[in-house]
Amino acid sequence: MQTTQETPIVSPVGRDTPRVDGPRKVSGLAQYTSDFHFPEMLYAVPIEATIANGRLLKLDTAPAERMPRVRAVFHRENIGRIFRSFPERGFGGICEERRPPFEDDVIRYYGQYIALAVADTFEAAKSAADAVRATYAQEKPNVETHLDADDDPDVVLTTYGPRPRLQSHRGDAENAFATALVKLDQIYVTPAETHNPLELHATTAIWDGSTLTLYESSQGVVNLRGVLAQMFGLPKESVRVIAKFLGSGFGGKLYPWTNCALAAAAARQLGKPVKLVLSRKMMFQSVGHRPRTQQRVRLGATPDGKLVSLQHDYIYHRSMLDPHHEDCGEATPFQYSVPNLRVSFGRARRNVGAGADMRGPGRVPGLYATESAMNELADQLKIDPVKLRVLNEPKIDESLGVPFSSRHLLECLELGAEKFGWSRRSPEVGSMKRNGLTLGWGMAGCSWVAGRFSAAASVQLRNDGTARVASATQDIGTGMYTVLAQLAAQKTGVPLEKIEVSLGDTVLPEGPLSGGSLATESVVPAVFAAADDAIASLLTIATITPGSPFENRLPADLAFEGGQVFEKADGAAKGVPFDNLLRRANLRLVTGSGKSEAFFGNPKPKYSTHSFGCHFVEVTWQPEIARLRVSRVVSVMDGGRIINPLTGRNQIQGAVVMGIGMALLEHTSYDPQSGAPINSNLADYVVAVNADAPPIEVHFLDYPDKEINEVGARGIGEIGLTGIAAAITAAVHHATGNRVRELPVKIENLLA
Amino acid sequence: MHTFEFIRPIDPAAAIATAGQAKTAQQGADVRFVAGGTTLLDLMKLNVETPTRLIDINRLPLDKVEATPDGGLKIGATVRNSDLAHDPTVQRDYSVLSQAILNGASAQLRNMATTAGNLLQRTRCMYFRDTAMPCNKREPGSGCPAIAGSNRMLAVLGTSEHCIATNPSDMCVAMAALEATIYVQGAKGSRAIPIGEFHLLPGTTPNRETVLEPGDLITHVTLPPPIAGSKQIYLKLRDRASYEFALASAAVVITVAGGNVTKARIALGGVGTKPWRSPEAEAVLVGKPADIAIFRRSAKAAMRHAQPQSENGFKIELATRCLTYALKMAMTA
Amino acid sequence: MPSSKWTRRDFLETSLKTGAVVAAVPAALQGQDSQEDAVVAARPNIEGTLPITLRINGKDRQLRVDPRTTLLDCLRETVVLTGTKKGCDHGQCGACTVHVNGRRVNSCLSLALMHEGEEITTIEGLGVPDALHPMQAAFVACDGYQCGYCTSGQIMSAVALLNEPCGPDDAAVKELMSGNICRCGAYANIVAAIQQVRKNV
Repeated sequence: MQTTQETPIVSPVGRDTPRVDGPRKVSGLAQYTSDFHFPEMLYAVPIEATIANGRLLKLDTAPAERMPRVRAVFHRENIGRIFRSFPERGFGGICEERRPPFEDDVIRYYGQYIALAVADTFEAAKSAADAVRATYAQEKPNVETHLDADDDPDVVLTTYGPRPRLQSHRGDAENAFATALVKLDQIYVTPAETHNPLELHATTAIWDGSTLTLYESSQGVVNLRGVLAQMFGLPKESVRVIAKFLGSGFGGKLYPWTNCALAAAAARQLGKPVKLVLSRKMMFQSVGHRPRTQQRVRLGATPDGKLVSLQHDYIYHRSMLDPHHEDCGEATPFQYSVPNLRVSFGRARRNVGAGADMRGPGRVPGLYATESAMNELADQLKIDPVKLRVLNEPKIDESLGVPFSSRHLLECLELGAEKFGWSRRSPEVGSMKRNGLTLGWGMAGCSWVAGRFSAAASVQLRNDGTARVASATQDIGTGMYTVLAQLAAQKTGVPLEKIEVSLGDTVLPEGPLSGGSLATESVVPAVFAAADDAIASLLTIATITPGSPFENRLPADLAFEGGQVFEKADGAAKGVPFDNLLRRANLRLVTGSGKSEAFFGNPKPKYSTHSFGCHFVEVTWQPEIARLRVSRVVSVMDGGRIINPLTGRNQIQGAVVMGIGMALLEHTSYDPQSGAPINSNLADYVVAVNADAPPIEVHFLDYPDKEINEVGARGIGEIGLTGIAAAITAAVHHATGNRVRELPVKIENLLA
Repeated sequence: MHTFEFIRPIDPAAAIATAGQAKTAQQGADVRFVAGGTTLLDLMKLNVETPTRLIDINRLPLDKVEATPDGGLKIGATVRNSDLAHDPTVQRDYSVLSQAILNGASAQLRNMATTAGNLLQRTRCMYFRDTAMPCNKREPGSGCPAIAGSNRMLAVLGTSEHCIATNPSDMCVAMAALEATIYVQGAKGSRAIPIGEFHLLPGTTPNRETVLEPGDLITHVTLPPPIAGSKQIYLKLRDRASYEFALASAAVVITVAGGNVTKARIALGGVGTKPWRSPEAEAVLVGKPADIAIFRRSAKAAMRHAQPQSENGFKIELATRCLTYALKMAMTA
Repeated sequence: MPSSKWTRRDFLETSLKTGAVVAAVPAALQGQDSQEDAVVAARPNIEGTLPITLRINGKDRQLRVDPRTTLLDCLRETVVLTGTKKGCDHGQCGACTVHVNGRRVNSCLSLALMHEGEEITTIEGLGVPDALHPMQAAFVACDGYQCGYCTSGQIMSAVALLNEPCGPDDAAVKELMSGNICRCGAYANIVAAIQQVRKNV
């Protein structure tokens, strides 16, 4: 990929690097799924159920079928066979909503697809979809917000495998709480949230005989290929998934949704490419959401603030059929030092669509609860909340009994406090003012898991001095194109502007999901191994090519650095550029392959691997008009070695902005009468706009974590969202005296 | 979206003649004028508006802002909201109007939206906008699911048991405070409608939102000569900092002499089923000292007859604070 | 059926019916102010579509569109200029921002056929990777994006803002750019890019 002449030259790992795909993005040339056009392409619009619970009795599609330019209206009787899918061993075949579209006539959530109109134009298809009439046997939907746990077994099957409901325990948490001198017992509630990436989910499906190609806005092309292959009874090699550019997904595009299979089935039936783009309304109904959580946190402590007991018992809502698990208790067992601990969960079935991982699944709502509890404890004991974290900093991961690979939370706290000016804090409610506004200050700690998916990559060195790096992973806005280029540049010495990056296509070596903040960490060893492999081949070529300056040497005597080959004994000054050697050998290119194994979810690891951080937040409060705004944030992240600080800072700032939404604005509201997510649009579901974003100062400690990969990089896409809501609500309390334990904080909470 | 005929009339008379064939000018109209299209196309995509004929009035000569002989202002129907807000005369003499417009929507929408279109902006009620939901405004007699459902954004003033939908316009609130007059040309000639009489309360007929009849074309709006020495403020309160409809807003035009309020024009937004001019608030102010206690009393008077719903009772307190503070701000405007 | 004496005035006064068999508007009459006869240019009649001419990025395009086609869908699906994006289709996100006669508008809330005779500019008309508009270059330098999906709309908005009344400070820019949602939250860098260009202009 070429950069423009204005952008700076190659930066190796660790330097601010403008995105290599930037010029395409700013000129409208980056092609997202719905941007692709194919000859004779048709447009598909799904028809959504307008009840949330009941049965579809009758579908009248005749008027729609007769409308101009309509090719078909598909439903259960004519969509053709769509099979189920099941998880593959070794993290594949993952899907949140397993039920194939149209499988039965039961409606379990509002907006469930009951038919699909396909026409020559979008307008004709939409018009046809609107003309389909459905008759239902409707039952009262259950979208009750108060959650009581269902009668679930002790071990439940979740999307990622079985999970015990007694998630973690040590010591005797109940007894230690009962006998604690200081107690805190509160319930924290986070509402359903909807991902709402700007890019609408989209699928374009094209059959060529029995080969299926899907253009899909997917965070996991390899996984999607596996699922769709199963659903259409195809070998994997007959399915290709392409996602070159993605208008983000925040987790909602990790796994296939029903629109994928629908588009593919329609294309199969009609023998033409079919493009299906969801409406924004559908984005609230049928492509996942972060479930509502209701979390009880009980802390027992000494009067000095030392934790003696921590109980974290949480419930989240789930759809009727699907096993998405919102693991709120993921960080609780190791975030703090506490000898007696219990983490448990329950689930409550509702008539809602399947839940899905949403940026920082589990830990984002979970740390909101536990960090809020810690802040309340600090207030209760009149201890500085930063001091309370320091006091309860664990030396090891007390749940696994192993050391952390690299944990610098204390340093984060120290640096954050310093940069924020925390020492100037006066803790009394409403005691701080500036320019006639009341200030509120709050802080919270945070963390995110580190690890690796298995990954494969290839690196090519070419006879024109360029290189190509390829992996079937995705760039969802995280900067993966640039990371891959930087990694390849680092190893091969080829300058950034001469590196072509290819990703987002299942014909490429199998790359990792863009999820869990794990993708960058995962590709490092694969790309390095692939580069090493290409270089090894190159050295061999150097020694066997007639006329080569290194002919008849041993490859072990040669070195490769900065794109040059030289004899170790002679040093780099006598280096020969690799492209010279390839041309001499009449080779266009040499390809290296690299693979790395997963490093994730090991029940008995040597180290506990996570990133850590903290946020310091200031809000301004104007009681005369009940106006509360976040005015500045300082975030410090111990996220391993940061491969590209330019894009890394952007990630943290963006996550903090999303956190402002989480704390103050966002909630998906289910209408009790119809069960519909009633605020299913971007005016009624309120996300942060530009004017909401305050100055956000980001600092990275940049300690490499060599347990994860050679560079020491950990992922940072999600950690910025963990903890921020607790810091904001603490600041809200400091300014207003109002303790809000159910998000989002609303104006009406602050009017008292 | 239903398909339609697209008509571009060469003059207002042709537009009126065609529109006069409509069954109604209210909910369910089969013929609609289109100017900016920001409300109409939005609702056509939702099948809430289903005209079979669209009359494009953008190229009619209705796009000027001009002085009137009596020293007031004449604002053409198709003047873009952004042009109106930035008009030097408006900024100087009718600043509350400029402030109100600039607090509304986004820059893109302000470039598209017109004076007439904004007068006819329709409610953002989520049930109204969803044809799968019952709605007395769309289908009289089908019920109002907002009353027992999600109503945080809806009205507390001017509601009935049939409809509690808020009027969402910012511009109209300022125009109400400025006592604008709306000029309409129709099948039976032209007439002038004071803005206070233009919008209807829902009552038992929430499907009727204005006094317009089929064929009625808004040609322009006039503002009376500016009140000399007036202090004007538009204050809008909302959840996020921008690009959102009001939870509560206040348009204030007051004059003060010798420490007392001499003239007051007050209107509220975000809380009423129509742009809410408040003579109750004005009565408390006129002749009284311009101090915070009077301002607060005025605001309380404005909200005295407010009817809270299950989720929006907070608007009563919020609107009270909003108007109080707007009056306070006006003192230093 | 219209006679061969079909004049432009007749055309303007008469409704353009859809779904009915009607002769195409003679191409020769478009842009003509004279009321003289013109040769009817026969075109294949696709049911339900109307012929229009749109001037996009300085080039006239003769198109046939369903009257319901928004300017946005016309750009993306008919003309196949896909740089302008659809984020919500209801004027609530700004991803579809283009310029009409130099002013920024939401193309999703306007009909294609309302824009004959107007200058439409899309992101593709602003600059290309080898010759970027200063605003595009500033976005690259300042990392004013992440996923890039809102970027076309942000840049079109930002360029239009250069010709609008806007105070000098960040707060003014933030307010005027609030009609462009960035879910990735790259707002700080977007503002930095815009202020950089404003300083140099």
